[in-house]
Amino acid sequence: MDQFADQAKLPGITGEEEKMPPHWETFFQSYSRLGNDEIATRNEDLTRLMRENGVTYNIYGDPSGLNRPWKLDMIPFLMSKEEWTSIEAGLQQRAQLLNAILEDIYGDRKLIRHGILPFELLYNHPGFLRQCCGIKLPGRHHLVMYSADLARSRDGRVWVVNDRTQAPSGSGYALENRTAMTRVVPELFEGLKVRHLAPYFNTLQQSLTALAPQQRGRLRQPSSPRIVILTPGSSNETYFEHAYLSSYLGFTLVQGNDLVVKDNFVWLKTMGGLERVDVILRRVDDNYCDPLELKADSQLGVPGLLQAVRSGHVTIANPIGSSILENPGLMPFLQSMARFFLSEDLLIPTIASWWCGQPKELKYVLNHLPSLVIKTIYRHPSGSSSIDGASLSAVQLQQLKARILANPALYVGQEKVDISTTPSLIDGHIEPRQVLFRSFLVSSGENYVAMEGGLCRTSSDQGNFVISNQSGGFSKDAWILSPEPHRNFNVLKEVAGYNAPDEDNLTSHAAENLFWVGRYTERVLGNARFLRTVMQFLAEGNKLATDSTQLTEKYLLEALTQNTFTYPGFTGPDSAEQLAQPWEELKDVLLNAKRTGSIKYNFLQFQRAIHEVRDHWSTDTWRVLRTMEEELAQDIPLSHHGHIRMLHTLDNLITFIIAFIGLNRESISREQGWRVLDTGRKIEQSLLLLTMLRTTLVNKTNDQVDYHLQQSVLMSHECLVNYRYKYRQPIDIRLVLDFMLFEPNNPRSLTHLINRLTVHLKHLPKDHAGHALTGYERLILEADTLLKLSDKDTLSTPGTEDTYTQLDEFLTRMYGLLAAIPDVISKTYFKHELTPRSFDVL
Amino acid sequence: MKYKITHQTIYTYNEPVSLCYNVLRLTPRHTYSQVCNSVVVKIHPEPDNTQEYEDFFGNKITYFSIEKEHAQLSVKVSSVIEKRVSAAREIGLYGNATIEKVKQQLQENKQEAADIGQYIFETTMTASNMEIAAYARQSFPPGRAVLEATIDLMRRIYTDFKFTPGFTTVSTPLEVVMREHKGVCQDFAHLAIACIRSIGLPARYVSGYIETVPPPGVEKLFGVDASHAWFSVYIPHLGWVDFDPTNNIMPGDQHITIGWGRDYADIAPMRGILLSSGTHTLSVSVDVSRIR
Repeated sequence: MDQFADQAKLPGITGEEEKMPPHWETFFQSYSRLGNDEIATRNEDLTRLMRENGVTYNIYGDPSGLNRPWKLDMIPFLMSKEEWTSIEAGLQQRAQLLNAILEDIYGDRKLIRHGILPFELLYNHPGFLRQCCGIKLPGRHHLVMYSADLARSRDGRVWVVNDRTQAPSGSGYALENRTAMTRVVPELFEGLKVRHLAPYFNTLQQSLTALAPQQRGRLRQPSSPRIVILTPGSSNETYFEHAYLSSYLGFTLVQGNDLVVKDNFVWLKTMGGLERVDVILRRVDDNYCDPLELKADSQLGVPGLLQAVRSGHVTIANPIGSSILENPGLMPFLQSMARFFLSEDLLIPTIASWWCGQPKELKYVLNHLPSLVIKTIYRHPSGSSSIDGASLSAVQLQQLKARILANPALYVGQEKVDISTTPSLIDGHIEPRQVLFRSFLVSSGENYVAMEGGLCRTSSDQGNFVISNQSGGFSKDAWILSPEPHRNFNVLKEVAGYNAPDEDNLTSHAAENLFWVGRYTERVLGNARFLRTVMQFLAEGNKLATDSTQLTEKYLLEALTQNTFTYPGFTGPDSAEQLAQPWEELKDVLLNAKRTGSIKYNFLQFQRAIHEVRDHWSTDTWRVLRTMEEELAQDIPLSHHGHIRMLHTLDNLITFIIAFIGLNRESISREQGWRVLDTGRKIEQSLLLLTMLRTTLVNKTNDQVDYHLQQSVLMSHECLVNYRYKYRQPIDIRLVLDFMLFEPNNPRSLTHLINRLTVHLKHLPKDHAGHALTGYERLILEADTLLKLSDKDTLSTPGTEDTYTQLDEFLTRMYGLLAAIPDVISKTYFKHELTPRSFDVL
Repeated sequence: MKYKITHQTIYTYNEPVSLCYNVLRLTPRHTYSQVCNSVVVKIHPEPDNTQEYEDFFGNKITYFSIEKEHAQLSVKVSSVIEKRVSAAREIGLYGNATIEKVKQQLQENKQEAADIGQYIFETTMTASNMEIAAYARQSFPPGRAVLEATIDLMRRIYTDFKFTPGFTTVSTPLEVVMREHKGVCQDFAHLAIACIRSIGLPARYVSGYIETVPPPGVEKLFGVDASHAWFSVYIPHLGWVDFDPTNNIMPGDQHITIGWGRDYADIAPMRGILLSSGTHTLSVSVDVSRIR
């Protein structure tokens, strides 16, 4: 215990007191029982788990990549039952108050008419959307979800630092933090009765369900409204969370162009047609929700959405326009507004604030600039809206003064809270760090329900006032300790809780991306195998450089360019040098991310498609993906050693892709999703196979070269062993064609692929029953018939001295048929987003 | 005086459009000086959905969507307006209120300020700069009556700026108008509003029509009028007073008001979103004729 004796004096645990509270004592007993080595190991486990689960926080404009791993501190933030009870009551009161303010702002505006709130704070605020005035929500509260950042000052008092009312984020990260903690360090929960997070999410689910508009359509049962999460897309900073909550709550994840307004209702584009949407949980900012009535150039919203809301046909939570409450200018008036609406005083005090729109307050702020934090009443899209006066030079202070004087109504001065610290694990040591606690509330009946836990974020270094995910601090799990015996912690109960995804049709967006995941999977795999075959041949062939091996090399390299579409590559008039020194070009085809057709390029496309449907993958899949990313991230020198390394990379890549494919079936829980993905795979496989046969087998050279090429085809499809086993004969074009085109038991043969495709295509949703075939069914039937009417003997009979003419014709026709299928599928099932364009007429 | 106004807008698309959503602000509202006797909105093809409501400012909105493929969209608004008061309003003593007096009265009367206050802040379309503020100060020296100062500002814009159709678009920033001294009625209204707001006084944007009178002996052709825009200034006890900087007159019975807002964006006559890959051409014809 000695090493922790000092902790008792750490501010943040004890406030100004001397003695460590019992719950911290219990915690550190468990902690020290683990021992330093174990703690270091567990910490690594925690980091790895977060990385493998793909928990990220995207940083806009971060050149090092979109996805920054989420950092979780193993030491949680502890809060006693007594402390939480008073905070909870304060937060509930504040939510009620903000709800009353929001209703008033978009309703009667009594606050303005009675002079309780200066009109500038409303009319001067871009978050006040006049278009939304008069819109009523079906539920009891206008403000459905509310989130507050709390801080404790060193004297132990609790303050609300920020209100989040538009699309509060963080609850998904809090849940993920808890899940990770229970998995990696269950021992730390010993003797502490930690409250669960699940009740909050259950309430959220119920509350959103209750918000569904009353008048029901003919298509769905009243008991199951369609709820969607509207996300700006995969480049949004908290996209991870959108996908996570979508899986957890069982709500479909959609982007603006997945939705369409028709007949004044909102519809989701799915593979089975349009499905009505009742409730939208939005993560798109107010102004971006409807290009018709709000920001005209927004590509994230849905044209006509506001009118559908106005008509009461869809409910949006939180309602569009609620960012008006994220307004530090309201702070100085909160107390009088609480008296006005609730006849109560604020339970959690607001940080002393002075709005510069009043002469006395302006004077105070200007005279005390260095000791205040200066905020603007709304967040500038350009940058920080909070300035610490103490951090400014004399010149900067003068500039700030001038800016305030030019437009005083835009500024608020706020007292600086000396935020207390909490013990944090930093590089293996326990150090004090300032901490902000984000709490989450959701409307439920007459009151609000608070999450019994929350998301804590700590400053990145000691004494740093600014806490944000952007500046690289840590997050923490927050434990609210309850003395009730039946609340004993139960790991399983907390971790379980994923809702089975519903059996609805896939959204067109998901279908399209899953289809492309399938295609890129096979493109990467097929090209990687062929590249590996070519590299192996080169590495071995160099030792016995006969004429025929050189010719084979030439043909293989040309075929590689043709199969990967990396022209000019080894083809074209200037290819002599490339052919003589092929390794540099080969490396480029493997690793140049900017080159269309390279393996790395296709891998990135694959990855992009995966991220677009990130709610469809299991944890195991993420782990495989991470490993693949790392494998392809390294550079490889051009040397003999480099050749081996490249082959090694290809080996690994191929293994990972196969692991990925193996996980698909269990990972994608929805039958339709798997079918679409597998359709993409089978089409890509067929096209690759046809291209390879055409580029390697159609020309007849000499027996030696032909043999090598035929062998390469079998090797590239991992069929060499099976071929030998089946035919027990030397390689021969007739049998190679038999095996690759006609053998139904060879899973890589065209016959097998076409059989699978026929089944998949039959199961896609059709909007008409009956005899008529859809466009893609015609194509696959035609392909199947062409295949059945062909035979290996005809195809392997040379038409001219140096060409298998009939084979060439067969492959070309077949390619044309199969390559047409994706277009038809795309036209039928994927959304064809015509960019909404706005116009204004003078 | 009674007017019949016919305002027709026709879009012709290069490629058929399957979906379009529109917000119309073309129904004239009642004001102290006009009564809107009737409005008929004809849209072709027939919209799948039409809604009418009043916006925050009390302007009348028609929302409609067309959800079937169409190659052309025609919107024809026909209204009959009766102007009730002849040109000059009783300005009286209130017209002498100075800049300082007006500001002070707005400070003191919170009820009044609550609504009027929103017209003091600059908007994106009426963004001021040093040049614009300096231009404004020449007409608004301390102690001058607001009415007199605004008349002076209107006259200066009329004299200093060249009416140049096609030089600006809806999205041309005001600073360009200021720098080039060119623009159309929207730009002049925005410029005047920016000037007045830079002084700290409330001003708003008015959308409407103006009757054009052909030279004596020439018969007026149908459809040659245009939609028009001007601005209003708020003077306590008098209310909103209109000014037309494009013609250097205080609007009387030849100006017909559709509605108003903080700037063009609040009262754009027709705003729409269409889903299409092609382009479109637009033709607008406006006719304002007297009914006897």
